[in-house]
Amino acid sequence: MKVLPLDKLREALNIMANDAEVYVPMLRDDISGYFQWADNPADELALDLLNTYLSPKNVVIPQTEPMYKFKTSKQDVEITEVQVREGARIIFGIKACDLKALENLDMAFLTMGFEDEYYKARRQDLTIIAQACYKPGPACFCEGMGADRINPAADVLIHELENQDYAWEAKTSRGEELTAKIAALMEERDVTLPQAEPQSRKVDMTGVSEKLAEMFEHPVWDDLSSRCMNCGICTYVCPSCYCFDIQVSNRGEAGNRFRCWDSCMYREYTMMAGGHNPRDYKKERYRNRFLHKLQFFNERYGANLCTGCGRCVILCPNGVNIIEVIEKVKEVKLDA
Amino acid sequence: MNDFTNKAREIAKRLLADGTVSVVLGWEKGDEPYASAPTAITELAEVDRLIIDEYCIHEIAALLTDYRDGTDKVAIFAKGCDVRGIIRMIQDRVIPRERLHIIGINCPGMKDPNEYARAASGFGKAPAAEIAAKCQVCQNPNPFIYDEIIGDLQKVEPSNERFASVEEIEKMTPDERYNFFAQELSKCIRCYACRNACVACNCRTCIFDESKPQWVGRSTDTVNNMLYHIIRATHVAGRCVECGECERVCPVGIPLMLLNRKLVKDVDELFGPYQAGLSLEDDAIPPLSRYRVDDPDEFM
Repeated sequence: MKVLPLDKLREALNIMANDAEVYVPMLRDDISGYFQWADNPADELALDLLNTYLSPKNVVIPQTEPMYKFKTSKQDVEITEVQVREGARIIFGIKACDLKALENLDMAFLTMGFEDEYYKARRQDLTIIAQACYKPGPACFCEGMGADRINPAADVLIHELENQDYAWEAKTSRGEELTAKIAALMEERDVTLPQAEPQSRKVDMTGVSEKLAEMFEHPVWDDLSSRCMNCGICTYVCPSCYCFDIQVSNRGEAGNRFRCWDSCMYREYTMMAGGHNPRDYKKERYRNRFLHKLQFFNERYGANLCTGCGRCVILCPNGVNIIEVIEKVKEVKLDA
Repeated sequence: MNDFTNKAREIAKRLLADGTVSVVLGWEKGDEPYASAPTAITELAEVDRLIIDEYCIHEIAALLTDYRDGTDKVAIFAKGCDVRGIIRMIQDRVIPRERLHIIGINCPGMKDPNEYARAASGFGKAPAAEIAAKCQVCQNPNPFIYDEIIGDLQKVEPSNERFASVEEIEKMTPDERYNFFAQELSKCIRCYACRNACVACNCRTCIFDESKPQWVGRSTDTVNNMLYHIIRATHVAGRCVECGECERVCPVGIPLMLLNRKLVKDVDELFGPYQAGLSLEDDAIPPLSRYRVDDPDEFM
């Protein structure tokens, strides 16, 4: 099998970065995320981490994304620049959970008769180098959400070997093309792939979506939501939460329109122009998040909008845990 | 602390059974040894979910905003820091003292469940500290306003650390200081966890949720992130109870207590030594919430 030695990785990333934006798990000021590789000495590669606290969704949906610039004069508006960002992008080391989340984002932004041009521009020329995940953490439950953590569908699949070199398998023609560019850095070796350690957290989603459809008014939401403080951590670190708002910033006659992440945990999210808010209380906002993840998305796209990465479980300051929510939902007895 | 849990359940059962309160705010256990989480118990049959252990670090008084519109009585388990938060809520008219039944917990210091979750997760490198850093320098482990109390009085180790890190920042040149905060605040993802965990952030409608006018832009750039944090720090000046929750809950590790302590220090210097949330007496209202003829007015 082809092997990319660890000490050749920076060089490989530099070659890839010649004609693409390359996103790599990195530490920046102690924050781990998928940041753009620029061979900057201040950025520390975070390949020894199981995953990053910030998800890789910023590669296709940046938190703040310019849309277009405009100028007004009297009654006229002129759009001076449309800021659709096409171009080659590579994401390196993405895990099955986050890759499955990317599939969710594709469904939301590219299917059902609607294509989002900003998303498409970032997504269409994206090469995916996925990393097989042999040692899941205590918060991981991607298998329960249907991810194949050892063999996720990607352009290239890499396996971290015992000596930290990467066994390298090109899986698609796009992956072959990329591999050819760094072929000189690779070695041909007999390798032993690691043994997959089992995932300790189990979750069985059978019937959950259907049951939730009967539970909108159920009192269990009062109890479940009581600990939530309605911040947006879960939605912003989630690899599959994709809600955004469209905003404008004006300076005199010129301005620019941009979109930015929004969160169903926020009161402003559902605030209507007339002042009415259909989700005025935290229970309603909390319920919406779980129903979107586990019911609504299922009904529309046939998939859960949770991929078991575990970030919200790790980072929620008040201990909200989606697995506990699923278990509670299963325990609930519905009146016949 | 097992004893605490038994006592907590005993008390909660009594209060719910005799109708003293309609809800009990406390903690329950999640599915990891470190996963303690705030909860609201309303049914007698659910009381045995309550626990008090060494991971109950959350400033539970922040949840009182959920009950501001009711008339029922609320029981709340409260460590020393939580009592300061409760005083914040009473002084800010979120909830009157008469609607609260406070069960004090003399607190030996807590571990941060998030620190433990992060350390176990494989996502980060930092090991968990035994007792959370903010608890190690706590000056108020023992509740001083309560209806009943659990546990033995804790000894307080005097600490001079309160303004030490602020003084370090004050030594910087303005440019250095700007760059330091620009760097730190550029990490902000605007999840508003610092605001929502804060007992001083109890406004019905937060300025950052307003859209007509929109006071602060929603884009995550240094300017708008700074505006958010500076406005928040200024707004809680004189009202911050220094519980450190904003800093604890921040998912990107911004040292928010630096900003808050700087404002605490400024209030001290302008209005005389003051600590928020230590007394319910009339003369203990935060300096910026009252008017006195001898208030400083050099700016006029």
